[in-house]
Amino acid sequence: MSAPLAETLTQLRVGNQKFLIDFYQSSRHLFARWAQRQLRLAPPQAHELLQDTLLDFYDQVADGRLTLMPADLRAHVYGMARLRLAAHVPAHQPLPAAEASRRQRLLAQFSQLGADCQQVLTYFYFRGYHFEMMGGKMGYANATVARIQKSACLRKLYELLK
Amino acid sequence: MSLPTPSPDLRPYFDELERFADGQMLPEEQEAFEMRLEQDEALADAHAAYEQLTADLRWAAGHDTLRLRLQALDERMNQRGDALERAHRLVQRRQRRWAVLGTVGLVLLLSAGIAAWYFSRPDPARPARNWEAYYQPDPGLTVTTGLLHTRPLLSEALDQYQAGHYPAALHSLGRVSPAKVGADTLLYLRGLILLREGQGNAAQLYLRRVSEEGRGELARRARYHLGMAYWQAQERAQALAALRAVAADSLSPYRASAQQVVAARVLEKE
Repeated sequence: MSAPLAETLTQLRVGNQKFLIDFYQSSRHLFARWAQRQLRLAPPQAHELLQDTLLDFYDQVADGRLTLMPADLRAHVYGMARLRLAAHVPAHQPLPAAEASRRQRLLAQFSQLGADCQQVLTYFYFRGYHFEMMGGKMGYANATVARIQKSACLRKLYELLK
Repeated sequence: MSLPTPSPDLRPYFDELERFADGQMLPEEQEAFEMRLEQDEALADAHAAYEQLTADLRWAAGHDTLRLRLQALDERMNQRGDALERAHRLVQRRQRRWAVLGTVGLVLLLSAGIAAWYFSRPDPARPARNWEAYYQPDPGLTVTTGLLHTRPLLSEALDQYQAGHYPAALHSLGRVSPAKVGADTLLYLRGLILLREGQGNAAQLYLRRVSEEGRGELARRARYHLGMAYWQAQERAQALAALRAVAADSLSPYRASAQQVVAARVLEKE
């Protein structure tokens, strides 16, 4: 594995998704052609499949299930897509069922939150912004307001999960 | 559905756990909380559950962010693709329109050309009715060097007649002496020039004199041109009579032309 690829994996793990976004942008058209030829999928379905596959890939990296960057990333992603379509499973190295179910449930409830709450929790837990920066981004008066808002949103999510 | 078992209720501890996790406690407060974590099993369970919740939340936020970014990118790429396709279709439609217009224009041009040719072509079923269509002009004497030396004024008049300068030719002819050329020849030439000038009535006067008084070749010629002069003046009956006579004259150099007019029956009453 080359150094830049190892760096990419680390970046992905700490939340820098640019690599996957770039990959999607440059591969979408080729992937759709491949999927049309190999899997008989129409372009919109192929685009959806590639998005889901990249989300699986991201999850594997974020969970630590994937610790080495594949030598041929394109072939790896295409293989994941083929497996995903054939077996209707989210990934070829799935999480334990209980874990996967808990996460999926949290993801579903997360999307039930208001847009502001989703943004606040994303800034704090995903981007790692401190309260002052988050307050600036969200247009709050100060860091204390940001902290109160974050706390309220987290409680709301917890209540939805209970 | 509940959180994974065992699933302690975080609500009694939420404030403390959150302040601890977010680094909002004072140092002594944090130290005391850590001590309690070691001793209070329920608190330790709640702490573990809280850590799991925030870890899941971190994952969910990342996953959801990536999903939204991919969807937004997909939409942008679709829009760009649609716009490019629209532009391509527009260009193709414009090219097709120009091709159709060009073809229609070409067909119209071709049709106009064919129509122009069709209507302007001589119709064998309907012979031409104007005298010029049948007229066989007399080019007059050829201007040679000898003629130029012996009769320069006549040569000049002939030259102008042959060039189509009829008023000038008439003027030059007026200066020619009848003694040198012959009165009949001068009358004939004058009638000829007047006929070509479109003065059929005036031409008749000179050509009639030559045709009535003369007997030879010149008179025969004059009869034909007299017939044409009548026709030009729209005196059709006289023209027909004169040209019939020419058509019947086997010695006339214009017999064939006169026969053509008679056969076409263009001078007979409609």
